[in-house]
Amino acid sequence: MNLISGIDVSASALNAQKTRLDIVAQNIANAQTTRGPNGLPYQRQTVSFETELVNRSGSTADGGLPLQSVRVSSIQGDPTPGQRVYDPQHPDADSTGTVTMPNVNLAYEMVDLITATRAYEANLSVVKSAKAMAMKALEIGR
Amino acid sequence: MSLIGSVSALTPSTLSRLPGMMQSDGLTPVGAPITPKTAGAPGTDAVQPGGFGQLFDNLVSAVDTKQTEATQLSRQVLLGQSDQLHQSVIAMQEASVAFSLMVQVRNKLVESYQELMRMPV
Repeated sequence: MNLISGIDVSASALNAQKTRLDIVAQNIANAQTTRGPNGLPYQRQTVSFETELVNRSGSTADGGLPLQSVRVSSIQGDPTPGQRVYDPQHPDADSTGTVTMPNVNLAYEMVDLITATRAYEANLSVVKSAKAMAMKALEIGR
Repeated sequence: MSLIGSVSALTPSTLSRLPGMMQSDGLTPVGAPITPKTAGAPGTDAVQPGGFGQLFDNLVSAVDTKQTEATQLSRQVLLGQSDQLHQSVIAMQEASVAFSLMVQVRNKLVESYQELMRMPV
């Protein structure tokens, strides 16, 4: 019994945006990390999404469309080189006294953060409207 | 069944929609007796052998399944085993809508019974 159809799609989008927010948090937290587990500076991670067909049994019977939800396809490192800063006293400085900083750009991350938040809000509005429509339909009987 | 997806769901009365709803999802509620599925296409509103009582029983079971699901999800969130906060809230809302539908069906049932009782003999 699926009274609020399409809500699974919104739920998947909420999940995807939350993952994106987590990755933004990771990027911002590691904006100054010059040494990761592999000994290299932190590499900015980016999230990419892909569509996924929702498994709706009997979807064609009620005239419903085969809905496409979203999921995180991959989390990849950003290959752009990080900024090199001259700081001979830094423990991670090389022989020339320069340190490679992570390639995290705070402005990019803040934009990503806002986009993820707004997308999350938009999907929440869809959920709310879907529920309101179902409740309105039930009010017909009153 | 899709209350939102199709306009046709708005036109028939709630009671006559029920058979199509129960079939089109192919959902067998936990703990409910398994009724033999009719071979016809879903949505043909074929009368089930058990009659309306059986149908309402299935509906109650489906609603109960939803409530259990929602409780399970929110319990997992509260215990920290899952971070799917929105999933649990959505499941709760879904259970709430399903419960409202059940209450509406019950109201209609009681209403028709009272209508019959008011009939002068």
